[in-house]
Amino acid sequence: MGIKSNVQRQLIRCLITIVTFLIFVSQGFAEKKTIGVIMTGNNPYYIKMHQAFITKLSSEGYDVEILLQRPYPDPVSWSNAARKLIAVDVDIIVTYGAPATLAAVYEKTNIPIVYAGVPKPNAIALAGKNITGAMSNAPTSSLIRYLKRITGISNLGVLYSESEEDSLKQLEELTRLSSELGFRIVKINIKWLEDVKKIRTAEKLDALFLTYSASVNMALDAIVDIAKARKLPTASILKGEDNSGVIITLSASPEEQGEIAAEKVIKILRGAHPGTLSPTNGKNIELIFNLKENTAMGFKIPMDIVTEATKIIQ
Amino acid sequence: MRRLIFNLIISALVLMPFEIYAQQEILIGLVPEQNIFKQMDRYRPLAAYLSEKIGVKIRLTILSRYGDVVERFALRGMDGAFLNSLGAAMAITKLGVEPVARRVNLDGTSTIHGYIFVRADSNINSVKDMKGKRIAFVDRATASGYLFAIAFLQKNGISDIDKYFAEYFFTGSPDSAIYSVLDNRADIGCTSSIIFNALVSKDPTIKRELRVIAQSEEFPENTLCLRKNIPQEIKNRITDILLNMNQDPAGKEILKKFGAVKFIKTTVKDFSPIFNLAKRARVDIRKYKGER
Repeated sequence: MGIKSNVQRQLIRCLITIVTFLIFVSQGFAEKKTIGVIMTGNNPYYIKMHQAFITKLSSEGYDVEILLQRPYPDPVSWSNAARKLIAVDVDIIVTYGAPATLAAVYEKTNIPIVYAGVPKPNAIALAGKNITGAMSNAPTSSLIRYLKRITGISNLGVLYSESEEDSLKQLEELTRLSSELGFRIVKINIKWLEDVKKIRTAEKLDALFLTYSASVNMALDAIVDIAKARKLPTASILKGEDNSGVIITLSASPEEQGEIAAEKVIKILRGAHPGTLSPTNGKNIELIFNLKENTAMGFKIPMDIVTEATKIIQ
Repeated sequence: MRRLIFNLIISALVLMPFEIYAQQEILIGLVPEQNIFKQMDRYRPLAAYLSEKIGVKIRLTILSRYGDVVERFALRGMDGAFLNSLGAAMAITKLGVEPVARRVNLDGTSTIHGYIFVRADSNINSVKDMKGKRIAFVDRATASGYLFAIAFLQKNGISDIDKYFAEYFFTGSPDSAIYSVLDNRADIGCTSSIIFNALVSKDPTIKRELRVIAQSEEFPENTLCLRKNIPQEIKNRITDILLNMNQDPAGKEILKKFGAVKFIKTTVKDFSPIFNLAKRARVDIRKYKGER
């Protein structure tokens, strides 16, 4: 009897050990989380942001599965991208830029949403219990001030997209600034690549302002070609590649935005509720002057504003 | 005859320093009051006017930054400099330079205030709110762009800026401190009231976008200080020409270009507020180098 009960006890111990091991292993497999990312098109700003996001997660030891959606910049594509991620039940949705974020929010999902590269979340009513992110606040007025110090502006061509909320908000702000600073705005709506032809045929322009729009930034090469041909200085609020040809850029660092988004994701993966994580304002604002292109176009950037630059492309 | 020769030799020896001096140029330094390129353009006509009146070429040299003042005076054989208030206080204390005159601006002011400012949409209203933020100073050797802020922080219990702020940096010029906050490259800025008000008057959007949250007492604006061993005759002539140039039509024209209505007499006593501010900031001006 005594021997039998000992054997039984040992068997029970063995079983408990095996079950515990299996539970541990299964939990280990379940730990691999899936992050759905909505990155609009092939915008260099978002690509830099995404690279920084991945690098940060990796450097913090997070081995996650990334499900990347790259919709074309239009409402249907953004909505479809968000729905796909919700359908596969990702653990967290990460969005770059306001339109992609709004598309995810409109789906009324309970999945936590972490955004990056959104200039003024409050201005587009971007709030909710399951949302947090990184704000990119490079002031539009500052960029206008730098542009005005390079060339007199009477007619400013503003390249925007009517289907992108942050681009429209920036257009509104530029309209306000134009009345205060005494210049006229020539609105140029860019939805498709062929829309850039409107710049070629637009009435007299003194400079071009590229808004937050993903559509505008996807057509950047074509825009810069026309700007060069018409000798129009260009100003952008989104940092691109060094050889993009844009003359002045005042941009929240995409790398910092990506890193902040990764930090938020890590906190959520560790159990934090997104509603308890306040949005973080990016601190790294970059002011880039492209002296090479500027000189080639026959403009001169005054030395006193060159000294303000955080980066100069020669 | 011997007595005559002796007297001639003595007279020649007495006059020699002035004669030798008169053959040389006078080197005047400028601290980076605003953008140095604009500043050079602004001071050149004044230097040419003084050169013509004195009969000695006045050469201008830009000091690369505010803190260079004391070293440059000695190393580069400068005869004088238009110094910001803290630079002047340092040079008076360490080198015994003599303040002679400062300009009266077109709006009638001859003094400046230090401003601590933020973006208008910022939630920073007090020193408590500044914790963990980014602050842009102009230079350690400026009263309006550094010393006032340090005294203000000390008064509010903050003695270690390294620990209190997420980041602090020096912009090198007062306008650059303003642009740093406008661009959102800094959360808080410290600068001179003169430059701040000048930018605001030119651009209404700046007035709307910035908010001053603290203001210092008045300090003398940039003051011409001359080294102590300049011949008194030269010192007097420079001072007289500056103080009376608003009576001379050509001088008036130069003043207009310079952005001033006249120059007024300035003495060491005018710098008392700076010496008091230094005490409050716990800075010993005798040892202070103003290095970054």
